[in-house]
Amino acid sequence: MGKPEVKGTVTPLSSMFPPEEVQKAAKLVEEKLSEKRNEMSQLKEFIADNTSLINLVQKLPDELHHDIMVPFGKAAFFPGRLIHTNEFLVLLGESYYADRTAKQTVDILKRRGKSLMSKVDALKAEMQDLKAEASFFDSTASEVAEDLVEIREYEEDNSNQSESQSGPTELESPTLAETDHKMDSKMGASKDDEYARLMSRLEELEKEELAAENGEIDEDEDEDEDEDANATETDGDENELTEAAFHRKKDEGYSSLDHGQRFSESQPTRQLQQSKGKEAMREEISNKYNHQDLTNQFSCTGLTAEPLTKGEMSCGRIIHQDKMLNPSVNASVPSENVSLNQNIHDSSRNEKPVQTSKSKFDSSKAFTGSIVEHTENLEKKTPGQNTTPSESSGSKPSKPVSRFKMQRK
Amino acid sequence: MSSSSIALRELQRDLENKANDLSKLQKDIAKNHQVRKKYTIQLGENELVLKELDLLKEDANVYKLIGPVLVKQDLAEANANVRKRIEYISAELKRLDGSLQDLEEKQHSKREAILKVQQRIQSHQAGKAKA
Repeated sequence: MGKPEVKGTVTPLSSMFPPEEVQKAAKLVEEKLSEKRNEMSQLKEFIADNTSLINLVQKLPDELHHDIMVPFGKAAFFPGRLIHTNEFLVLLGESYYADRTAKQTVDILKRRGKSLMSKVDALKAEMQDLKAEASFFDSTASEVAEDLVEIREYEEDNSNQSESQSGPTELESPTLAETDHKMDSKMGASKDDEYARLMSRLEELEKEELAAENGEIDEDEDEDEDEDANATETDGDENELTEAAFHRKKDEGYSSLDHGQRFSESQPTRQLQQSKGKEAMREEISNKYNHQDLTNQFSCTGLTAEPLTKGEMSCGRIIHQDKMLNPSVNASVPSENVSLNQNIHDSSRNEKPVQTSKSKFDSSKAFTGSIVEHTENLEKKTPGQNTTPSESSGSKPSKPVSRFKMQRK
Repeated sequence: MSSSSIALRELQRDLENKANDLSKLQKDIAKNHQVRKKYTIQLGENELVLKELDLLKEDANVYKLIGPVLVKQDLAEANANVRKRIEYISAELKRLDGSLQDLEEKQHSKREAILKVQQRIQSHQAGKAKA
């Protein structure tokens, strides 16, 4: 049993975190902290002033008039009277004043006090964060001063998986023995990294084995899944649009559309479970297209704003169909032939209503250019479904989707 | 050799120019930040005023301080004015945000250009040292 090679690096902490920089960082944090402290003291002053003002305002209306010494100029006073003791001209902010009674003034002042308190709380939270940072820097500075060392060990991947599996356990004992210093946390991190790397490698190898078993399907499906995964996000957007349009159209009595809509939304996420779901979808889609023919006729005669949304709806449906067709095209392996033939039948059946509905779309002048392209792609697919190599057809599905997007935008 | 030293001087002048531009950009960005801060504070204050005005009764007296004069204002008028000011300030903030992004992009590209010039200078000097 050959041991996997073990490489290691020993780095003194002082090179990882140079002492001067650590001190600089600590100073910066200290400065910020002192700034925050100043702000905090200022806010506390404001709060104190506010509370004393509230007390004063509450006391004034106790008398009808107060005898006071009135300030006059810079350095003089004269005796006078403070009258109208219940009327206050309160500054609301931005040079706006309002006449208020004592009670109302007290309410205003209390609200100001609340906002001040919330500011103080926010400042406190910030100061705590800064303190945590400062303590971290202090600890690293002390560690650097003690000349602590970080030890990392790497392992080379060999062809034998089993050996590398046992690798981490073999590594653990020597490294534990070696670390005299308190670098356990760091070693633990590197051990976890190695473990994670090994597990990911294992998963990759498993996937390759599965791919070897199933042959082309998995690769194609993976490709499709990737494309679909990329497009499902945008598809989701379109679905939302179409759902919004559908909700509007509910009044016209096409509630079945909604059910189909929701069913179709869940479809893109389960591309692998194809046969049954697809057939049901096909039927739903054919129903939808029949309905849509009628709605489009409505749109021709009626409102001009509608065709846009309906065009979007049609786009959403067409793209769906596109997706449904793709897996059927790519899955050309015998194990799926039976369901394939059924799907091909369904697709050919559905394409006819699609094409007829599209001619009606043209008449409504919603999406002439884009729809023409789409029919071309579909027509190309129908003759080549059984024989075209998976790759060329695999590349096609991405195009109509993206062209659609460009057209729509 | 002289030609390479001349080229070197040119490169260094180029570097100086770019460094000046970069510092100008940084000053602009700092100003932008300041003005933004001011506007945000004003926006907060205006929103407070709006809240208080909403709590006032219909017939309450509202005054506005214009210079040394305290002018009586209608509550509805004051409300409208404060709302308009809030809109104006938020529009200004958005504009400032946009210009700030532009400035930051320019700064980024300037930094990259400076790096390139520095690299060329280094390669020149390395070439000179070899020769």
